[in-house]
Amino acid sequence: MKNNVNVNDWIAMFRDIGLDQAKMKQWHSLFEARHPNGHQSFLEWLGLKPDEIDRIRSAGR
Amino acid sequence: MKTYSISRIARACGLSRSTLLYYDRVGLLRSSARTGSGYRVYNEKDLSRLARIRQLREAGLSLKEIRSVLATGGKPGTRLLEERMRKTAEEIVGLKNQQRLLAGMLRKVASGKRPGCVDKQMWIDMLKAAGMDQGAMNRWHTEFERRSPDGHQEFLLSLGIPPSEAARIRSLSRGEPGN
Repeated sequence: MKNNVNVNDWIAMFRDIGLDQAKMKQWHSLFEARHPNGHQSFLEWLGLKPDEIDRIRSAGR
Repeated sequence: MKTYSISRIARACGLSRSTLLYYDRVGLLRSSARTGSGYRVYNEKDLSRLARIRQLREAGLSLKEIRSVLATGGKPGTRLLEERMRKTAEEIVGLKNQQRLLAGMLRKVASGKRPGCVDKQMWIDMLKAAGMDQGAMNRWHTEFERRSPDGHQEFLLSLGIPPSEAARIRSLSRGEPGN
């Protein structure tokens, strides 16, 4: 099944419901700490490139 | 001087006869003699040329490049070696990317669903941890449904939510009354 939601859609949705930049950062840190594999596969699902994924995940550590 | 048949040096070098015949055809390595009945006869000098060819081959030089190296005294020029170094570096980057893609595919195959190891409970926990309460989650579903109905459907199924429940969540997100 092809994913048709990209990372920008996702960020826009989170913004719309009131998550600001700091909250999103905190969310990535938590995701990374609690479910590293889930974090990886979620970012892959969003269609991010491997180097972007590495960058986001290491920023969350 | 000691001499060798083509089969003998093929065996000794771990090359096939046809490779040696090919080297002969393209002028890379010609046997220095033939027997009366036309069989190729290689000597020690041919063998050392072959050893050099194999060494350059292992360093990744093409047969064409090797031929020109051997034609000009046997020492590869700096430019050729640098070019080869550059190509090798490129190939390493390419291979690393392949390795990463393969690792990602393996993870997906192993987890059997996308986005893989994220399930409904995990997702709810993550949203709560980000400070989302039930109201915010409802707004999120509404936004998701409005912006990308197909993406919403796919995401819910990927969390392992059964289709009937996904349909209920989506209809609530569209502001339709629940049942």
